[in-house]
Amino acid sequence: MSAHAKSISLTVNGARVEASVPPRQHLGDFLRERELLTGTHLGCEHGVCGACTILIDGEPARSCITFAVACDGRSITTVEGLDDDPVATELREAFAAEHGLQCGFCTPGMLVAARDVVLRRPDADNPAIRTAMSGNLCRCTGYVGIVNAIRRVIDARNTNAG
Amino acid sequence: MGEVSTAGSGVGARVRRKEDDRLLRGRGRFVGDIALVGMKELAFVRSPVAHATITGIEIPEEHRGAVLTWADLAAGGVKPIRAVSGLPGFKVSEQPALADGKVRFVGEPVAVCVAATRAEAEDIAASVFVDYAELPVNSDMLEAVKPGAPRVHDHWPDNVFLETNVGGNIAEIAATAPVKVSRTIRTARQCMVPLEGKGVVAHWDRHVEQLVLTTSTQMPHIVRAGLSECLDLDQGLIRVVAPDVGGGFGWKGLLQPEEIVAAWIAMRLDRPVRWTEDRREHLVAAANAREHHYEITAYADARGRLLGIEADAWVDAGAYSVYPFSACLEAAQVGSILPGPYDFAHYRCRTFSVCTNKPPIVPYRGVARTGVCFAMEQMIDAVADAVGREPWQVRLENLVPPEKMPFDNVTKKHFDSGDYPESVRRAVAAIELDGWRARQKAGEVDGRLIGVGFATYCEQSAHGTAVYHGWGIPMVPGHEQAQARITPDGGLELRVGVQSHGQSMETTFAQVAHEVLGIPLEKIKLVHGDTGLTPYSTGTWGSRSMVMAGGAVATACRTLAERLRKIGAHLMQAGPEGVLLEGGSVKAGAAAVTIREIAHTWYRAPQLLPADVDRGGLEVTAGYKPGSDHGTFSYATHAVAVAVDPEIGQVEILDYVVVEDAGTMVNPMVVDGQIYGGVAQGVGTALYERMPYDAEGQPLASTFADYLIPGFTEVPHVRIIHMLTPSPYTEFGVKGIGEGGAIAPPAAICNAINDALKPLGVIVTNAPMTPEVILGAIAGQQDAGRGAA
Ligand code: FES
Ligand code: FES
Repeated sequence: MSAHAKSISLTVNGARVEASVPPRQHLGDFLRERELLTGTHLGCEHGVCGACTILIDGEPARSCITFAVACDGRSITTVEGLDDDPVATELREAFAAEHGLQCGFCTPGMLVAARDVVLRRPDADNPAIRTAMSGNLCRCTGYVGIVNAIRRVIDARNTNAG
Repeated sequence: MGEVSTAGSGVGARVRRKEDDRLLRGRGRFVGDIALVGMKELAFVRSPVAHATITGIEIPEEHRGAVLTWADLAAGGVKPIRAVSGLPGFKVSEQPALADGKVRFVGEPVAVCVAATRAEAEDIAASVFVDYAELPVNSDMLEAVKPGAPRVHDHWPDNVFLETNVGGNIAEIAATAPVKVSRTIRTARQCMVPLEGKGVVAHWDRHVEQLVLTTSTQMPHIVRAGLSECLDLDQGLIRVVAPDVGGGFGWKGLLQPEEIVAAWIAMRLDRPVRWTEDRREHLVAAANAREHHYEITAYADARGRLLGIEADAWVDAGAYSVYPFSACLEAAQVGSILPGPYDFAHYRCRTFSVCTNKPPIVPYRGVARTGVCFAMEQMIDAVADAVGREPWQVRLENLVPPEKMPFDNVTKKHFDSGDYPESVRRAVAAIELDGWRARQKAGEVDGRLIGVGFATYCEQSAHGTAVYHGWGIPMVPGHEQAQARITPDGGLELRVGVQSHGQSMETTFAQVAHEVLGIPLEKIKLVHGDTGLTPYSTGTWGSRSMVMAGGAVATACRTLAERLRKIGAHLMQAGPEGVLLEGGSVKAGAAAVTIREIAHTWYRAPQLLPADVDRGGLEVTAGYKPGSDHGTFSYATHAVAVAVDPEIGQVEILDYVVVEDAGTMVNPMVVDGQIYGGVAQGVGTALYERMPYDAEGQPLASTFADYLIPGFTEVPHVRIIHMLTPSPYTEFGVKGIGEGGAIAPPAAICNAINDALKPLGVIVTNAPMTPEVILGAIAGQQDAGRGAA
């Protein structure tokens, strides 16, 4: 295996990482198994559930269908890297207030996707929030708490901006 | 910030969850997050065929030693899983953790491969060559019960785990009833799909000399019992730990073959091993829930008053009997709960638990109730149609009225409390039925058809000893235990044997304790899900944890309160009368001593204690059982408005209302969350989820692209209306609520669709009600469900 390993160099949550990775290893496994960033969860490993959503150069992406070797030179942010992010902080607060999580397994992916919605769609009504979030699955909450949490953050930001 | 609680932070308060912070920061700890030094990964070779004799297993020379089969496990003394129902006539199946010469469903584990990484273990699995001599397959339960069907277990005379007969002769009613309606009704086979798959890490702890199995389970103590039986290992040599569990819904409420294999290999190799179920494994090997078939007839008078119900019900129980619930829990429930929340006198139900070449059936959220409600509520609407009344009126005609509570129904179910008809009236008002009826009459510009549907159910939960004994389940719950311990700094530690996997118990049990002791929530710590640290429990299933373990927590805390008062009174030199425990302090008149000071006295300054102090100190284990073994009955009416497109068969949910009564709510936010989540799963059952099988028993879905679970845009923004009738039999009057949301949606949505299709003169009776099913009904192809009126 190591014979085929490729060297990559990337940034993970702001820190420089040099690694030698097997070409078939996906980014989710790389982050979880090698970087011990287990906050990124794997719910399907075929690109549908969104639990593994992370940021690559600031854009949401699915780590389970992204090869680690393809991330040479990129900057990766996982949920662990969002501790001090202002939007994520507002979302965590809102998720707790609105019961936007139960088992918490979908939550890291939801937060990353929701952060993107808040930043890109300040005009979103609830149906628009639902459409924008439809790439992420949750089996516990029935989505109501998540929609309400995103609504709360968008409304608060709009009020503060106005 | 957040909602202002109505009652501080005790019972009834909408407080935020203690578990949220770690989960929101990606700092939870699920099985897949655990890596132990030297750990190996496992991958399973699984059967690609539904029924076959294994004539050979070829392991490439270079992987010998890395691949193990049943021959290895059996030589090591491992025994097959046996879950024997206590009901007379039950046929026993034996399920070896790896196939023993024969496979009986697609996905059954045949061999296990051990390697440094999961990817390498999968490479090895792909290199193992298994020779299968295929056998005829039972892919449909109705075919499997016919004479001459191939047998799943060679030594059985047929393919029926158990046949039961409930109720008596209703021939007279059948002959004389003014109204008779019959239906053929079916629910599909489903996967439960917790977003975290199953997973297990096993190792031998050399220091304490114990097998430690960290597993994504709802019932650590039961897994320990099962492992002990299969591995022939004393329970004292096994510790089962559940870490954060990413949803369960029943799929994690059983002893799994993979747990046995992982445990045995860890001991055999003396190395930690890990297996994590991937999604494809789950969809293929764990399509194990819900599949019912009903031939049902309702008898009624001309007003729609039910006179009797007669049914034959088949449950596809799959290839084996699961531990601990057995292959018959589902059908046993069907027989006893089919009458639903209704008061009628004549009943007969015959059930068959059918053995087929599919994964073994496991109780999924709501268990049989979802299928039963789907059948019974269609019959209520059918009766209403036959007598020309509104379905809600016929419900009111038949529901057990509040003045009859508590009430023993036709199958001797003891309904504890509530106003069932009021839930219907409120649902009718909340959905604004008149408005929809007017809109129906006017017609839609886009040609869609509007329909409104209702479904009412009551849900027995927190089943007690007698109920489980009566269902023949080889795991009868007794008194639930909880430990409560004041820490030396005046905090509180609670230990319970149930396991939270999304239900928020770290918060809600703390609320219960706070209610009794007044200790602030942030100083209360719940320890759960670990056989090494908690009292025995059958675990979290059957909407039981808050009633049973919550009751035990309250009971233990009351005893602690007693002891705290006594020590506190002594420290204040007060007599026992008039001494209160309030707000975290013991008070006598103007004097007060905090729990922290009392704790300090007990642990650090015992010279100050009264001479006759209770020697048990500030640590209590208490057992609890509700006042009735019949459990609690929460209930609800769901009302839904839909638009059905007769051109493309698509259903849009326009409004969804739940009027429910879970008795006293410990945390209304959490109760709402359980209902929202349950309804979402029910929408899946109603409209999307189905594991199709071909005639060879091949599952035809294996990814989320072809097994559809509802997402943000499929699930409605459900409106919930609470009624609050306390149970007379439980602590604080709480009732079980975890499953309820998932019970009624298929029935309510089906009734709404049929209401919409009424002008076309067709009905649908099978779930899921996909566009294909609806268009089929419209085309007159699937109209067989409508019997003679
Ligand atoms: S794990 Fe990547 S989308 Fe599901
Ligand atoms: S909270 Fe469990 S999957 Fe979303």
